[in-house]
Amino acid sequence: MIEFLAATIRIATPLALAALGGILSERAGVFAVGLEGMMLAGAFAATVGAWASGEPAIGMLLALIGGAAIGLAVAIVAVRFRADNMVTGLAVNILSLGLTSYLMRIIAGGGRPVNIHLTPLAALPIPGLADIPVLGRLLFTHPPLTYVTALGCVALTLFLGRTQAGLTLRATGENPEAVFASGANPLIVRMLAVVSGGAIAGLGGAVLTLQQVGTFTDGMTSGRGYLALAALIVGRWTPWGAAAACLVFGAAEAFELRLQSFGVPVSSYIIQMVPYLIALAVLAGLGQSSKLPASIGQPLQREH
Amino acid sequence: MLQARRVRLKPSGLAGRILLALLLSVICAAALIALSGHDPLAAFAAIARGAAGSEHQIGASLNRSTPYLVAGVGVALCFRGGVINIGAEGQIAVGGAGAAATALAFSAAPAPIAIVAALLGGALAGAAWAGVATAIHLGRRVHEVLATLLLNFVALLLVQQLLAGPLGQFGAGFLQSPLMPRSTWLPRLPGFDAHPGFLIAVVAAAACSFVLWRTPFGFALRVAGSSRLAAAYAGFSLARLTWGAMLAAGALAGLAGGIEVLGVHRRLIEGFSLGFGFKAVTVALLGAMEPLAVVPAALFVGLLESGSLAMQRQIGVPSALVTVIEGLTMLFVLVATVARK
Amino acid sequence: MRNGAESVSALLEMRGIVRRFGDLCANDNIDLDVRPGEILGLLGENGSGKSTLMKVLFGMLTPDAGSINFRGRPLAGHTPAEAMAAGIAMIHQHFMLIDAMTVTENVMLGWPAAGRVLRAKDVAARVREASQRFGLDLDPDAQIAKLPLGRRQRVEILKAILREAELLILDEPTSNLAPAEVADLLTILRRLRAENKGIVFITHKLPEVLEVCDNVVVLRTGRVAGRAPVAGASQGQLAEMMIGRDVSTPRKIDTARPPGEPRLEVLGLSAPGLAPLTFEIRSGEILGVAGVDGNGQIELVETLTGLRPARAGQIALKGCDVTRSTVAARMRLGLAYMPADRAYTALVKTMSVAENLMLRDSRRPPYGRGPILTRASGAAKARALMADYDIRARDPNFIVARLSGGNQQKIVVARELDRGPAVLIAHQAAWGLDPGATRFVLDRMIALRDEGAAILYVSSELEEVLAISDRVAVMARGGFAGIVPRPDVDMRQIGLWMAGRAA
Repeated sequence: MIEFLAATIRIATPLALAALGGILSERAGVFAVGLEGMMLAGAFAATVGAWASGEPAIGMLLALIGGAAIGLAVAIVAVRFRADNMVTGLAVNILSLGLTSYLMRIIAGGGRPVNIHLTPLAALPIPGLADIPVLGRLLFTHPPLTYVTALGCVALTLFLGRTQAGLTLRATGENPEAVFASGANPLIVRMLAVVSGGAIAGLGGAVLTLQQVGTFTDGMTSGRGYLALAALIVGRWTPWGAAAACLVFGAAEAFELRLQSFGVPVSSYIIQMVPYLIALAVLAGLGQSSKLPASIGQPLQREH
Repeated sequence: MLQARRVRLKPSGLAGRILLALLLSVICAAALIALSGHDPLAAFAAIARGAAGSEHQIGASLNRSTPYLVAGVGVALCFRGGVINIGAEGQIAVGGAGAAATALAFSAAPAPIAIVAALLGGALAGAAWAGVATAIHLGRRVHEVLATLLLNFVALLLVQQLLAGPLGQFGAGFLQSPLMPRSTWLPRLPGFDAHPGFLIAVVAAAACSFVLWRTPFGFALRVAGSSRLAAAYAGFSLARLTWGAMLAAGALAGLAGGIEVLGVHRRLIEGFSLGFGFKAVTVALLGAMEPLAVVPAALFVGLLESGSLAMQRQIGVPSALVTVIEGLTMLFVLVATVARK
Repeated sequence: MRNGAESVSALLEMRGIVRRFGDLCANDNIDLDVRPGEILGLLGENGSGKSTLMKVLFGMLTPDAGSINFRGRPLAGHTPAEAMAAGIAMIHQHFMLIDAMTVTENVMLGWPAAGRVLRAKDVAARVREASQRFGLDLDPDAQIAKLPLGRRQRVEILKAILREAELLILDEPTSNLAPAEVADLLTILRRLRAENKGIVFITHKLPEVLEVCDNVVVLRTGRVAGRAPVAGASQGQLAEMMIGRDVSTPRKIDTARPPGEPRLEVLGLSAPGLAPLTFEIRSGEILGVAGVDGNGQIELVETLTGLRPARAGQIALKGCDVTRSTVAARMRLGLAYMPADRAYTALVKTMSVAENLMLRDSRRPPYGRGPILTRASGAAKARALMADYDIRARDPNFIVARLSGGNQQKIVVARELDRGPAVLIAHQAAWGLDPGATRFVLDRMIALRDEGAAILYVSSELEEVLAISDRVAVMARGGFAGIVPRPDVDMRQIGLWMAGRAA
């Protein structure tokens, strides 16, 4: 059971980080369809960075930059040039897929992917807390980025709810004109939100490579970015809600893995569908969500 | 909402901007090739040779372009109506499964009937899958992008499930269906090795263009894509238009799946449609959502991809470059075609 | 205690403000003064120049000439942010609020005093305190979306108070309020006045002006038509100043033909924004509906044409009940509609003249037959219409966005009239058109009427309505304040109706 819960947390962590980044973007009014590309870019940057420098921390830093770069592309095309959010997101996902695979192969110079094998980051037990029976192993013995994710939920909640900047960001997603009337520039707000959201999503990609797999393979995010998007919607655009949704999705996948090892006769494919079906069911059940930022996806009017 | 432009009236304006976008991404690609230490011109030459250097290669390029073209035309139709359908991937997969199932059922029938039946089966399956997304979108007011996107994943898993079950080949080791009956194989043109799928695709593109420009339905679709207010004022039902566009797109995507199964692999294999859906969007965008313009756009992408393997083999530039070109082109075209209000 | 009028310096002094838009002079040498503790009413019809003047004051427009002095300091070339910092607050007709957030959050948005880390509790306390002092009755934790419009407006006023505005400009503040809410608002304004704030109350509604304002300035066609203290002024006087005596002589007085059978019958029709309405229009008759925009005209027109659902009541077209019918069904029965929104509803600007001409008729000859569009006959028809209605474009494939406003409207006219409708509903049909194009449209209306159509002509331009109507109705607060036959029109009465006084 503990193993199951631990697996759940492990699977949910990259999703949750990406979802946090997506929340920044969506609450400011820009659909976060590009999360997949941002995660992938972050995963690539983290792997190469950690390998080249020998320092995982450098990898994490580069992951932030990689994700932010993809975010910048979205910010320029969708916010500044007012292109359709959804298609822009798809485009950067395609770009990220190609670019990461390409760069991976030219780094070594031989046209073959660089042979990287990183040791996944070790779990960092929190002194004292990790000794609590059961809970200690479950909650307080994780690799560093997992703690970062939890802290990220706290930080984002505080930022959005308790700061002037967060208030302005939320207002931009609801009514950019009112934001303009209050003296801020909704264009800048949206661009900043998308870029910083991209950085955080990139860090989510770093979780995959630095903490779990230890290397980078083409397209390794395999749709996790889209799942994170579904999670943040199911979680009603709040950090803890999204985290909870990610845990549910993580549980579904952990369950499926367990079933495989027990040889239970329920098809693994059907189980893998569960996260997506849950997302669809929640979306359908909620209908036109009242929590959706009111101005999301709408291009900004030129200043009067 | 995407602003659809009528290519015919200002050919120099819009087409020129798209070509400029294309040129820009080619320049970026050249820079990336140089970054890897190779000669860009040599690389492009290798792509050209690989894509069209021999009859066989031309055929392979045509084969490659076909599913992008067929599905892309459907996506273009949807976009014209203001419906952002990114479910082509799932619709192609389900369509392939439908075609495979129908082909196996019609194994006793003579060739022309069997092929037509199988392709129809694919189209119907794809349309049905698009119908599911539409029902969720219209019935429960879920954004069509989310509905189609999430259903993509479900579709891929569904097809895997079918391959593990009723459509699978026992003891194969990996997920695939039994070989399709010979009568359902799409013939190959001698020398070119191309199946007639490309011709079917061109006919489909022409038909869609006709519908878009020469029928009241197409007219209503274009009005809805330009202004929902005007569409309501004109008396059009947005729900009916959405259904029409989505079912048509689903049928086309399903047809694409069927062509892949019967023409290329001659069996249903898992993951055969990976990436096709997004390529369809790319190609629709490059063709400015005009079905006939999607033909050269799909050809371009198909040639590029076909040639990229040769480029990788001969010059050593990774074929992933092509994906980069596709992504960059989409971004540049998006910037170039945003309406200047 | 004040020494005398001279030492009470004016809070606001606007002198000689001039602002032109091309040929149109929106503000023609206007002077305006507001003292602390004064509520000044700014009265005038649509297009009289009130909004322009206030936009100049608030920094949204620069005047071509003139000066502004606020609290003893000149104000020139300023931005809205600077106007706000100086102490001027503008309460727009369309609120700049975030529906999903609370009162407190809306107050804190863009307010540096709330802190980088928001001091929500402090602000909430201040909200409560100010709300108490001015009788605003606002709960800091209430969500805007759940507040009625009257309360939402008070949030805007609250923001102004908390940011220490000395002059408040309220732009048509009562247009969306119920009578009880209006009374509450006026009470709040009196409290503000008692705190020595200056208020500019922009409106076209006379009863409110008389009730709460100290002085009133009346604008007409860009000039000051009159100034008066409210005490001692009568509604009639003010109405006259607002509308003036220039009534253009009606273009036709051809009432020789008696109206025929009823074509459009409306019984107790109500919808959000529309009071229960009952009226009918007969064949060969034009019913003109005058009134300031925003009194239910769009609701009436869209409910009649099928773009909005009716809440109660009935609509009958040529005797058939169409209350639940679709837009297309009403069209088939012979209902034509020229919407006020030319940009996005009546026309598709990115399409050609020919395509716009067939916008609503694409399934019928000569534009289409069955599943096909008949291009040849459609093009011929388009050319014929272009000649008939003098639509100046190079050819039918010309994109509509490149045409002038007048030509664009001619397309709408051509399309709707050529169908030979039984009933035509025209909303702001001559809006933004030059005199020549306006005359064209009005002539066509009359010609259509002479052919036996029933026409509902809705316009905020009183002159147009008077020029072609057989009967004139005035719309106020979602209903008809009164209907009279054209020969019996009394300008003073019309003015009173328009200003919101019930018949």
